[in-house]
Amino acid sequence: MDFLYSYIALAEVYVLLGLSTNLLVGIAGIFTVSQAAVFGVGAYIVAYCLMHEIVGFVPALLLASACCVVLNVLVTLPSLRVSGDYFVVTSFGIQLMATAIFINWTGGTGGANGLPGIPPPDLFGFPLESNELLVLLTTAGTGFGCLAFWLIMRAPFGRLLRAIREDELAVAAAGKGVLRAKVSAAALAGAFAGSAGGLYATFLSFVDPSSFDLDASILLLTMVVVGGARTLPGSILGPFLLLALPQALAFIDIPTSIAASARQLIYGLLLIAFMLFRPQGLAGEKL
Amino acid sequence: MLALQLLINGLVTGCALGVVSVSFGLIYATTKLFHVAHAGVYTLAGYLAWSLVRQGVPDIVSLLIAMVASAAVGAAIQGVLYAELERRRATHLVVLIASLGMLAVMQNIIAAVYTPNILQFPLPWSSRMIGIGNVRLTWTQVLTVVLCLGAFAGIMWFSHRTILGKQIRAVASNPFLAEITRLRPQRVYVTVMAIGSAAAALPGVLVPLDLGLQPYGGVTPLLTATIAMIAGGIGSIGGSFLLAVGIAVLQNLSLLIMPGEWSIGVTFGIFVVFMLFRPTGLFTRR
Amino acid sequence: MTPAYLQAQGLEVAFGGLRALQDCSFTVDKGRITCLVGPNGAGKTTIFNAITGFLKPQEGSVSFKGRVLDGLKPQDIVAAGIARSFQNLRLFQDLTALDNVLVALPNMAGEDPLGAIFRPLHAARALKQRRDEGREILAHVGLADKADIFVRNLSYGEQKLLTIARLLATGAELLLLDEPASGLSAGALEAVMVLLRRLQSEGKTLLVVEHNTRVVQKIADDVLFLHQGHLMAQGTPERIISDPALAEIYFGGAI
Repeated sequence: MDFLYSYIALAEVYVLLGLSTNLLVGIAGIFTVSQAAVFGVGAYIVAYCLMHEIVGFVPALLLASACCVVLNVLVTLPSLRVSGDYFVVTSFGIQLMATAIFINWTGGTGGANGLPGIPPPDLFGFPLESNELLVLLTTAGTGFGCLAFWLIMRAPFGRLLRAIREDELAVAAAGKGVLRAKVSAAALAGAFAGSAGGLYATFLSFVDPSSFDLDASILLLTMVVVGGARTLPGSILGPFLLLALPQALAFIDIPTSIAASARQLIYGLLLIAFMLFRPQGLAGEKL
Repeated sequence: MLALQLLINGLVTGCALGVVSVSFGLIYATTKLFHVAHAGVYTLAGYLAWSLVRQGVPDIVSLLIAMVASAAVGAAIQGVLYAELERRRATHLVVLIASLGMLAVMQNIIAAVYTPNILQFPLPWSSRMIGIGNVRLTWTQVLTVVLCLGAFAGIMWFSHRTILGKQIRAVASNPFLAEITRLRPQRVYVTVMAIGSAAAALPGVLVPLDLGLQPYGGVTPLLTATIAMIAGGIGSIGGSFLLAVGIAVLQNLSLLIMPGEWSIGVTFGIFVVFMLFRPTGLFTRR
Repeated sequence: MTPAYLQAQGLEVAFGGLRALQDCSFTVDKGRITCLVGPNGAGKTTIFNAITGFLKPQEGSVSFKGRVLDGLKPQDIVAAGIARSFQNLRLFQDLTALDNVLVALPNMAGEDPLGAIFRPLHAARALKQRRDEGREILAHVGLADKADIFVRNLSYGEQKLLTIARLLATGAELLLLDEPASGLSAGALEAVMVLLRRLQSEGKTLLVVEHNTRVVQKIADDVLFLHQGHLMAQGTPERIISDPALAEIYFGGAI
């Protein structure tokens, strides 16, 4: 039963994180490989706050979200102003730099060994320690995220982003600010990713740089691609499926030494296959 | 003198990086694709050469085979993957994602076959040093400078003096026009990918002679190379090379004041400066 | 002396070695339909791009109602009252006709993430009002019953009308139309011409790029003849069309 709770809670965290990637890649059409880095920033901020008893869980989560919003705006504003490909370089740079910081800044992030023993989350002083309560928390958090995502998709903002994805020039000619909309989407994505990070940290009670590297960003992209872009069902399906993959692989006898590479190899193959044969994913709209 | 040694090291690394930058730039300027999988080709070349050398194949031959194989792989990626995506009218984003997928596939096949550990080339001559004044260089470093400068010169000559090179520049500046005047862009793209991949194989083999082979070791050089390409000005072969050397020198000199793990910060810092103040690069043609 | 409604002065635009606009100057008067004609490659679309901020000319400037437009971004120029259409339409294929119009409506509530998430009810209420506005605009161009049809399912003629609807949605008073009548059947052509005249009677000023001399004759108050990036002649349709030298350039010239 514990295992099932773990799987569900983790999948939900990735759903929330996936919404962030879906917003950027699927809706706004911005290629990003730095979502795992932002996820990590959110996780480390909440972990640090809880471990050093600076603030409770909810304020820490808000702080983490706010920081990630600012981070995303600072990163996207100057680079998207130039071009999408410029942002590709920026995104890679941010991801690689973040990994370097996570691994080397032992004072803040615990370095390569990470931060163990993160306290459980609390709702204004009331600690949530049992697995059931933790799953309830992640479900609530992800639920809010899905609601926000749904509201956005139905609102004029969602329509504006879809139009931008199709034809930026036409949107500019219609009198709407393209850069502002993209940066707003990125800011929102930051909030999603930061909160997901905070939930991740308290749920696992341990974070280390390997959860937030380029491979993790690739996994996120794979979730969006397989699940499907721009739809809520797609955003939920992707993480649940991809997180079940390692269990499925366990049935095939793969030596542990290449297990990680095997997983990443499959993600790469999935990306290629879906882009060629099914760009709309299993439950989404065409990328 | 430490600073001088670092400067020389930077010049050497810069030459290697320069070839990566020029080769990527050739592909990007022509196909308009941000071919992320280029890092995979770069990595593959090194491992291929390593396997050949281990089998007793002479060093030069190993290098040449690696370059030819890389050309084939690059051409295949363009002809099979990118061309098919274009046929299916994929958006720019879709191709980027596919390229990233290809990179992941290449890196992880290598990691599965060769293990993720660092491998060294079993070539004793490569680490023998020669001294020039106060500076000491390995034979690898000398070879790197000579061959990479040669490759750079070769690409410059090719681009400006040969008919094929001029055709490529024509397609790069106006693919639509090229299409209607019977220059077939797809053919040109495959050629450019082959040339670019073969060129990238050169530093792909030479750099690991000193530093060792690592499956995921292609991404950071590629990132630095693309930054050099952008800062130099897209379309300027000389500009990319020059900026690559410059960035490598600055990276090395920064070791005087900060630990090596942060050198990526130097590169990225340079990128941020350009992005804010001169996004089109130094040597853009007008 | 009152400044001209729209004034372009000494525009120079070059792409590499190609000079698209050379010392191009002209004025457009308020309330009139001005047609921009000339052989292919004369620079007509380039002028549109320069006026609406999609291109920065190397030299020269454009002013509208006395205000200099240099350096403004496209969306600011729309806010200032000038909107343009595209020769290749550039409609949003995956959106309905109504949605295409709604994207162009200014001051839309809920068009930012905060508004969308935290004031969904307000946005929904306002949206109903704006949707009605959008339907009215579609009715105005004759597409009332196509509001909920996706663009890719509209006929070419209907798509052309939709581009005009999108312009009207912006609320701009000066409309730049890039070949609004090209590729249309006789019936659709007539509908467009009637629409353009009606827009003029409602106070809009139109600058229209057009190849079809019959259309030019029927709707233009003024004609600007452009050749090799330079304004060669300006006058009434009759005068321009009957000028043999200009006809030579237009019909007999290269390209």
